[in-house]
Amino acid sequence: MNRIDSSPALEARDVTFSYRRPVVRGFSLRLMPGTVTGIIGPNGSGKTTVLRLLCGILRPAAGEVLLKGATPLRTLPRKVVAKHITLVPQNPGDDAPLTVLQYTLQGRSPHMPLFGFESRHDEEISLAALDMVQLTGHLQTRVSDLSGGERQRLLLARALSQEPEILLIDELTANLDINYQVELMALVGRLTRERRLATLVVSHEIHLLAAFSDRIALMAEGSVMSQGPVSEVITREKLGRLFGMDFEIRASAANRPEVLPVIRVRGSEHAGIDS
Amino acid sequence: MKGLSRRRIVAVSLVLLVIWACTALFALAVGSVRIPPRTLIRLVAERVSGRSPLEEPFATILFSIRLPRVCLGSLVGAALAMAGAAFQSLLRNPLADPFVLGVSTGASFGTILYSLLTASWGAAEAAAGLAYGRPVAAFAGAALVVAAVYFLSGSGRGTADSSQRLLLSGIVLASFLSSINVILLTSTSQADLRGIFYWLIGDLSRPVDASIYVVTLLVLAGFLLLYPFSRSLNVIATGEEDAAILGIEVPRVKAGVYLVASLITGAVVSVSGPVAYIGLICPHLGRMMFGSDNRILFPAVFVFGAIFTLLADTLARTLLSPAELPVGVITALVGAPLFVYLVRRGSGQ
Repeated sequence: MNRIDSSPALEARDVTFSYRRPVVRGFSLRLMPGTVTGIIGPNGSGKTTVLRLLCGILRPAAGEVLLKGATPLRTLPRKVVAKHITLVPQNPGDDAPLTVLQYTLQGRSPHMPLFGFESRHDEEISLAALDMVQLTGHLQTRVSDLSGGERQRLLLARALSQEPEILLIDELTANLDINYQVELMALVGRLTRERRLATLVVSHEIHLLAAFSDRIALMAEGSVMSQGPVSEVITREKLGRLFGMDFEIRASAANRPEVLPVIRVRGSEHAGIDS
Repeated sequence: MKGLSRRRIVAVSLVLLVIWACTALFALAVGSVRIPPRTLIRLVAERVSGRSPLEEPFATILFSIRLPRVCLGSLVGAALAMAGAAFQSLLRNPLADPFVLGVSTGASFGTILYSLLTASWGAAEAAAGLAYGRPVAAFAGAALVVAAVYFLSGSGRGTADSSQRLLLSGIVLASFLSSINVILLTSTSQADLRGIFYWLIGDLSRPVDASIYVVTLLVLAGFLLLYPFSRSLNVIATGEEDAAILGIEVPRVKAGVYLVASLITGAVVSVSGPVAYIGLICPHLGRMMFGSDNRILFPAVFVFGAIFTLLADTLARTLLSPAELPVGVITALVGAPLFVYLVRRGSGQ
């Protein structure tokens, strides 16, 4: 862990937001450069809304989201925000009539003039991003012809093409096979360190977050219940309180917690998924 | 991105402009009186070189009747096709066009109301002061419909599914306003019924007055205002939230495109009436030929719309010669089946 940078790349201070009822209340979190932060929380705890608030496409009703600990996002034009922050959304967008390369090139949008054309430089960055997510073989494939997992990787490529400093990721691994889940999370971790990104990952895959995050925040009912280094937060007691069920937690060889839910089937007790 | 560059856009636009020029010459030559090609070229050349046109019957037909009509047809086609492309891209809905959204009907409502109020239907508008009135009234009508459609569909609040509801609201409002239009027109005593009837379908045969200059100015300005939005609209095509993430000021782009597209629709509808389907068909054909990138589609469709409308109007003038049909009849006759074909084909992609 790097402790050189003391100022957060992005900070949420006491953020509140409601749709019809309050969804996010008093949410505070700091994202540090070179750090992967994972958010774990049950359905409806406001995780996706928090991501939208953090990238500025929703505005907090109260509180602030501060870029580099100083500038409130709401004072910045969208284009400036998009040069710093990107969000990999949970659902792949509409079936735009675009090829994989064209779609990825749209990530260059915040770096281009209002009316302009993608330069050789833009194309190189997008091709490099596609290479990282292993989609180079599909450059001219239509987005609508991709599988769910390929689209998920395409969304990550577009986000990387944006060259952000702050990378927000919503359920990146939802549609992916286990090998891609591990590979992509490893990629995100590597990029975070190499490019000093401040990365935030929302996921239901607790074991993945435990394996690849530097810090974890547990979210319940729109605010952070607990946060800190992985080993301090991923505990049987805290996860149990968050989800209302039992977990078995052991330390892996890399001294990271390994999480297994304890599933009770007809009175018997198993650690892990009963088959 | 297979070679989309300024060069390709300029090349495509130039080729289309040449085709447009040929189509215009063709439209000038044919009609109830045929002007031989040589005479036509000689007359045009003499006119362009500044010599006073010869006292020939051909010259009168050419410069007083056909040339204004060719200009008007080109303007109407270019504006409606461009507005259609803009609306389709903005609403991410291939069925969106000024006619379907009720914008055209709103513009005719504005025009009719203005004509009734100034009691100048087909008459005293040539007076310089009134030349601006009609296009402005049409724009007001169009803008009013846009606001009403926005309000009815609740899309001002940026909810999901807003595009679908926007379209439905437009269709409903259009049918409602059409009825109002007919009531307004029928209640006038001095009505030129044939003229009104034709105009409601979309017609280029009414004599062109000074408002054509205002309309020309508005349409060209509209193109120049819409074109810079083309890249932002490309990004919005992948979804509004995605576009916001990618740094597009989505509400601003939407409002700007909506206003300008309504303005150019209002401008041309004030002279031609609501010609159907141009804004639906031309962008589709344009996309099939040049791809969906708005940076090339907008200029291509602008010229292509002019070509399409000139051909349709020439057909309208000659099909039952010496009788004339309103151009809207031809665009609907050609457009409706073509559209069904395009939709069926498109669903397979």
